[in-house]
Amino acid sequence: MARTRTRARTRTRFAALAAAVALTALTGCGAADMTTQASPYADAKSSRTVTLSVQSWVGAQANVAVAQYLLEQELGYRVDTVQIDEIPAWDALSQGRVDAILEDWGHPEQEKRYIDDKGTIKRGGDLGVTGHIGWFVPTYFAKEHPDVTDWKNLNKYADTFRTAESGGKGQLLDGSPSYITNDKALVKNLDLDYQVVFAGSEAAQITQIKQFAKEKKPFLTYWYNPQWLFEKVPMTEVKLPAYKEGCDADPKKVACAYPHTPLQKFLNARFADGGGDAAAFLKKFRWTTEMQNDVALMIAEQKLSPREAARKWVESNEATWRTWLPS
Amino acid sequence: MNTPTAPHTPPSVFAVRDLWKVFGPKADRVPGDAGLAALDAAGLRARTGCTAAVRDVSFDVRKGEVFVVMGLSGSGKSTLVRCLTRLIEPTSGTISIDGEDVLSMDAGRLRELRRHRAAMVFQHFGLLPHRSVLDNVAYGLEIQGVGRAARRERAAEFVTKVGLEGMEHRRPGQLSGGQQQRVGLARALAVDPEVLLFDEPFSALDPLIRRDMQEEVVRLHREEGRTMVFITHDLSEALRLGDRIALMRDGRIVQLGTPEEIVGSPADDYVRDFVRDVPREQVLTVRAAMRPARSTESEAGPALAPDATVHEAIEAVARTGETARVVQDGRCLGVVDQAALLGVVAGVAAPAGKAAA
Amino acid sequence: MTATVTPNGTPATVPPATATPMGPATEPAASATATATGALRAFARDRRRPIAAGAVVALVLGALLLGGGGWPAALTVDLSGPLGTTSDWIIDNRDSHPLFLYGLGHVSNAVVLSVRAVYLVLLALGWAGVTAAAGLVAWRVAGARLALVAVAAFGACGLLGMWVPTMQTLALMVVAVGASVALGGVLGLAAGLSDRTHRILRPVLDTMQVLPAFAYLLPVVLVFGIGVPAAVLATVVYAAPPMARLTALGLRGADAGVMEAAASMGATARQRLLTARLPLARKELLLGVNQSIMMALSMAVIASVIGAGGLGDRVYQALASVDVGAALAAGVPIVLLAVVLDRVTAAAGERIGAAPARHARLGWAVAAVTTAAVAVAGRLSGRLGWPDAWTVDIAPTVNTAVDWMTAHLYSGVPVIGGTADWAGHFTTWVLDPVRGGLQWLPWWAVLVTVGVLALLIGTWRTAATAVAAMAGIGVLGVWDPALDTLSQVLAAVAVTLVLGFAVGIAAARSARLARALRPVLDVFQTMPQFVYLIPVVALFGVGRAPAVAAAVVYALPAVVRITTQGMRAVDPAAMESSRSLGATGRQQLFQVQLPLARPALLLAVNQGVVLVLAVVVIGGLVGGGALGYDAVFGLAQGDLATGLVAGAAIVGLGLMLDRVTQPTERRDPAGKGA
Repeated sequence: MARTRTRARTRTRFAALAAAVALTALTGCGAADMTTQASPYADAKSSRTVTLSVQSWVGAQANVAVAQYLLEQELGYRVDTVQIDEIPAWDALSQGRVDAILEDWGHPEQEKRYIDDKGTIKRGGDLGVTGHIGWFVPTYFAKEHPDVTDWKNLNKYADTFRTAESGGKGQLLDGSPSYITNDKALVKNLDLDYQVVFAGSEAAQITQIKQFAKEKKPFLTYWYNPQWLFEKVPMTEVKLPAYKEGCDADPKKVACAYPHTPLQKFLNARFADGGGDAAAFLKKFRWTTEMQNDVALMIAEQKLSPREAARKWVESNEATWRTWLPS
Repeated sequence: MNTPTAPHTPPSVFAVRDLWKVFGPKADRVPGDAGLAALDAAGLRARTGCTAAVRDVSFDVRKGEVFVVMGLSGSGKSTLVRCLTRLIEPTSGTISIDGEDVLSMDAGRLRELRRHRAAMVFQHFGLLPHRSVLDNVAYGLEIQGVGRAARRERAAEFVTKVGLEGMEHRRPGQLSGGQQQRVGLARALAVDPEVLLFDEPFSALDPLIRRDMQEEVVRLHREEGRTMVFITHDLSEALRLGDRIALMRDGRIVQLGTPEEIVGSPADDYVRDFVRDVPREQVLTVRAAMRPARSTESEAGPALAPDATVHEAIEAVARTGETARVVQDGRCLGVVDQAALLGVVAGVAAPAGKAAA
Repeated sequence: MTATVTPNGTPATVPPATATPMGPATEPAASATATATGALRAFARDRRRPIAAGAVVALVLGALLLGGGGWPAALTVDLSGPLGTTSDWIIDNRDSHPLFLYGLGHVSNAVVLSVRAVYLVLLALGWAGVTAAAGLVAWRVAGARLALVAVAAFGACGLLGMWVPTMQTLALMVVAVGASVALGGVLGLAAGLSDRTHRILRPVLDTMQVLPAFAYLLPVVLVFGIGVPAAVLATVVYAAPPMARLTALGLRGADAGVMEAAASMGATARQRLLTARLPLARKELLLGVNQSIMMALSMAVIASVIGAGGLGDRVYQALASVDVGAALAAGVPIVLLAVVLDRVTAAAGERIGAAPARHARLGWAVAAVTTAAVAVAGRLSGRLGWPDAWTVDIAPTVNTAVDWMTAHLYSGVPVIGGTADWAGHFTTWVLDPVRGGLQWLPWWAVLVTVGVLALLIGTWRTAATAVAAMAGIGVLGVWDPALDTLSQVLAAVAVTLVLGFAVGIAAARSARLARALRPVLDVFQTMPQFVYLIPVVALFGVGRAPAVAAAVVYALPAVVRITTQGMRAVDPAAMESSRSLGATGRQQLFQVQLPLARPALLLAVNQGVVLVLAVVVIGGLVGGGALGYDAVFGLAQGDLATGLVAGAAIVGLGLMLDRVTQPTERRDPAGKGA
C-alpha cells in the first residue's frame, strides 16, 4: 500500500517537473522580447508577412485595401490588418505589432516620443492626401440660409439646430472620441450658444447624419475631408476664424479653424530598415484625395468588400500604382 | 455513572471518563467551573453563550457487545459518538481505545484509528454520489491506499454480504434509502474495523425497511461478534439491539444498564416516562417474575432458560396451565406463575420476584 | 456580456418561494410561521423609525452646515498626474525593463504560442473535421439533438463566409477559457478551503462583477500592447471571476455528511479534497466553466478593439463602414457559438450524477475515429478551407431590411409618432428632469439618500459600502458625469423592469409564449452589442435615448427570464388552494403569484441594474456621454487618467446600486463581506 502511494506521488512530481520543463522550453529561457512577436494567426507557409493598421474611418480602409491588394498580388506578401484607434496604433507601431500606419492626421506628442526620443518609428512620407477638419452644415440648408456658413451668424441659428439632446442650445454633433477635436474650447472661446454632443463613434455620427439628411433637417456637425459621406450627403463648411500657425498651441484657448494637414505615413523603424520590398513599396505609396474617395465609396456605399473595391481600382489605375513598385 | 462490573466482564474497547463537549465562546472554562457545570442548558446559555452537548459522561464499551446510546434529539448522543474518534474534538475528559489515549494521538495515529479501528455508519449515509456502489464500498480501502484491483475484489465481497449483488455499478442516487444504507454498512465493514459506530443509521428509513436493517445488524453481530456502538432515538430499536443501553438527556447519561434494567427499574421519572409504553413482557426476562420453587414445583412444568422473556413464559404457562420452571445447567433457579407474570406485564412489581433478580 | 452569466444571479439561484402561509402546513407550524413573520415585521418597523429619524437629522445638519451644490472641489483628488507618470513609465520601459523581459514577456509569448497551437490544430482538422468533432463531442456529452444543433451552427458559420474568423475566435476562446478556468479554479479553491481567503476574495470578485469590460482593456493594452496576448488576458480577467465564485460556492457547499464520512474513514486533507470535496462540487464547477465560456465569448467583440482579430474584428470593421449586414454576418457566428457551447455544457451538467451510459468508452472511441477519418478525408481531397462557393452573403438583404425599418419608423408614423419623436420626448420629459434633479441635489443629500436606501434593504455594512462607493466617485472628481450616468441607468432600469415584468409574467402564464421567447432571448443575450449600435442610432438618433435603448435591449432578456422562472417556481399548492377558493386568474396573479415570487422579482431588479450598468460604456458609443464616453475616450486616446477614473466611477456606481438593490437575505448568511 505504501508503495502505491509513493509511486503516485512520484508520478505527480514527475508530471509537474515535465510541465515546467515543457513550459520553459516553449517560452525559451531568459529574456522574452514582446516586440518581436508574430500574430498567432500568421500563415504557416509564408514567412513574409506585413501587418497594417486600419483606422476606423473608411478612407483609411481604402488606403489599406489597395496597399494590401498590391502587396499580395504584385509582391507576394501576406498582409494582416488590425483595426485600432489612432493613439494605440502609434503604440502598436512602436512595439512592432503593426508595421505601418498609412494615414495619420498629426499627433505631435507621439511623433516626439516615438520618432525623436525612442527612435522606434520612422516617417514614411506623404500619403498625397490633404486632410481637413471643420464644421459643416448640409448643403441643402446652406443654400437656403447662405449666411450660416460664417461662424459669426451661428448663434442666430442656434434654435434651428436645437435637439432634445442639446437642451436649450444648438447642437454641434461631434464624433468618435479618438478624433482630434477642439470643439468644446471653440464653442466656449467663440462664445457660441451651442452644446457639443459626442456621438461616441463614427458609425453613430454617420448614421445620425444620414437620418437627418433623409428628412432634410438642418444640422451642424464636426466632419473631415476627405470622407466618402460628402458624396452621399453634400455638406458645406462653416468658416471659423482663419487658421494661423500656432493658434491651436494651447488646447484651452483655441479660437481658430483647424489646419489643412498633409496626411502622413509612418513605419516601424525596424520594418523601415529591414522590410525589403514591402517597406520600399509603402514608402512610395502615394495617391490623391479623389482616388481614395473612389475606393472609400465603393466600400461604404456600394458595400463592396475592401478587397473587391481595391481590385476594381487597381484594374483601372495601373499607371498610378506601377510607380509605387520597387524597381 | 455507575458502571456495573460483573466478575467475567470482557475488556473495554472504549473507556470514556468525565467527557465534556461544550460549544461556544471560551468553552474550556465550563467543565472546570463547578458553578457553571451545575447550570442547566438555558442557564448556561444565558451566562456564557455556550451549549454543553455532552456533560461529564463516563462509560465503557466492552468487547463484543452492542452498546446503544439512546436519547431524544438534542440530547447530545450524536456529539458523543463523534467524540470517540475525535470527529468532534472533546472539551475535556479522557477517551481511550484498547487502553490507548485517543485525545493525545497525533494526526497520523488518529488517521490510523479511523482507518482501521473504528468505522462509522451515518444517518444520511454520506455516500459519494458520483461513484458506483462498488467504489463507494471500496472508498475506505482506497483511503488506506489499497490498490484498485484488491480493493474492488474485497468490496465486491461485502456488497454481496449486505445483499446488494447485481447493483455494483449503480449510483447511490439510483438506490432506495435502505439500499443506500446497506452500501454505508458495507463500506464500514469492508475496512474490517474493531468497532462499528452507528449514528442513527436507520432513522431516515421506512419502518419496514428499518426492521430489515435491524435484523441485518443483529445477524452481523451474531456472525462476527464485532463491537458496536449504536446511536438511536428509537427506544424499541435500542431495546432490540442493545446489550447495554446508555440513556441520555441534556448531555448527561441518566441511566446505563441492560434493556431489562432500564425497563424493569427505571432510574428516575424521566426514564420511567420514557419506557412507559414499552411492551414489558417482551423485554423483561423471567428473572423479573421468578420466585423460589415451592414443594414439587421444581419437578414439573415447562422449563425455561433464565434469559427467556416474560412473553415466552406467558405462552408456556398459558399452554400448560402450570407454573414454569427456570432452569440453568439442569438446576432449577425458581419458578414463575401466572400472578407474577401478570404483575410484570401490568408494571406492578411482584413482591416475591424482585429479590431474585 | 450575456446575462446567463451574471455570476451572482444565475437563474439557478432564484430562491424558491416555498414559505407559504396558505400551504398545507399543519396548524402549529402555520401559527409558528405567522408568529415569526409578525416578529420580523415588528423588527422591520422598529428599524425603519430610527433610520428615518437619523436621515432627517442628517438632512437638517447637512443643510445647516454644508449648504447645497455638487461635490466640493476641495474634497477631490486629481489622479491624472500619477496615472500619466505610470503610463509613461510603462511605455518607456516596456522593451527594456526586466519585469517585462523576464516576466510579462514570457506570459505574452506563451499566450501567442498556445493560441497558435490551437489555431493550427483547427486548421489541420479542416472545416469538415472541426464540424465533425463539434457534432460528435456534442453527441457524446449532450445527445443527438444537440449534436445536430452543433453541426448546423458550424455549418452556418461557414455559410456566412466566416469560417476563418470563426476559427480564429475559437482558438482564442479555447486558450482564454482554459486559462480562466485554471485561474478561477485556483482562486476558487483557495476561497473554498480557507475562510480568510474567502473573506479577502469576496469583495474583489464582487467588484469585478460590476467592472465594465472596457475598463480592463486600457491597462492590459498598456502593458502588453495591441494584439492577441492583450485580448486573451483581458478576457481571462473578465471570465475568471465567475469560475472562482462558483468553485468557491461549490466547495463550500459540499455535503457536510459526505465530508464527515470521508473524515471518519481517516482520509487525509488531500484525499478529502480530491476524492470528496471536488467531485461533490462538480456541478458548480461545470456551471463555472459554462459561465466562463459565456463571459469570454461576450468579450470576443469588445476585445477586438485591442486587436483580438477573428469575428470581433469583422464586426468592428463593419461598424466603421456603417454596414449592419456585415456586422450581423460576423455577429451571428458568435451567437451560434455561444448557444451551442451553453447548451452543451448545460446538458453535460444535467447528466452529471447519472450512471455513465454503457459503452461510454466505445462511444468516445467512435467519435475520435470518425473525427480523424473525416479530417483525413478532407485533407486528402484538398478541402481544408471552407469552399468559397458555399457561402451566402446576407449583408445586402439585412441592410435593405434595416433601411426600410429606419426609414418607416424613424418619424412621421401616424398617431404614435416615430421612434425619433419618442426618443426626443423621452430625453426631454424623463432623462433631463432626472439628471437635473440628481445634479441639483446637494452632494451630501445624495449620500444620505443612498445610505438610507441601502439600510432599508440591507444591513449597516451594505449601507457603508454603498455610501463609500458614492463618496469615492466624488473624490475622483467625476461627480457630475456620474450623476448623468446614474440618471440614464435609472431610466433604463425603469423601462427594463416595466417591459421585463410584463413579458415575464405573460411568459409564465403561457408556455407557448415562453417557448417562442427562448430563442429570441438567447439571441439578444449573446448578440454582440456592437451589432445593434447602428440600428439603435438609426431609430433613436444620437444621444442618451439610444444609450438607454441599447441598455434595455441588453438587460431585458435576463429580467424576463428571472421573472418567468420566479413566477413558475411559485408553490403549486398555494396556487391550487387559491384556485380552490375560487380566485380569478387576476386575483391569483396579484394575491398569490406576485407576492410569492417577490424574491425572484427583487433579484430581477438587482440583475437589471447590474446589466444596465454593464453597457454604460456601449452607451458612450452612441452619444450617451458622461462616464461611458470618458471610458471610450480613455481607451481611444491612450489616456489612462480619464479612462481609469471613469472605469472606477462606473464600478463605484455599480457597487452602490448593487448594494441598494440587493436584499440581505440573499447574501452570505454569515454576513461575511459587504
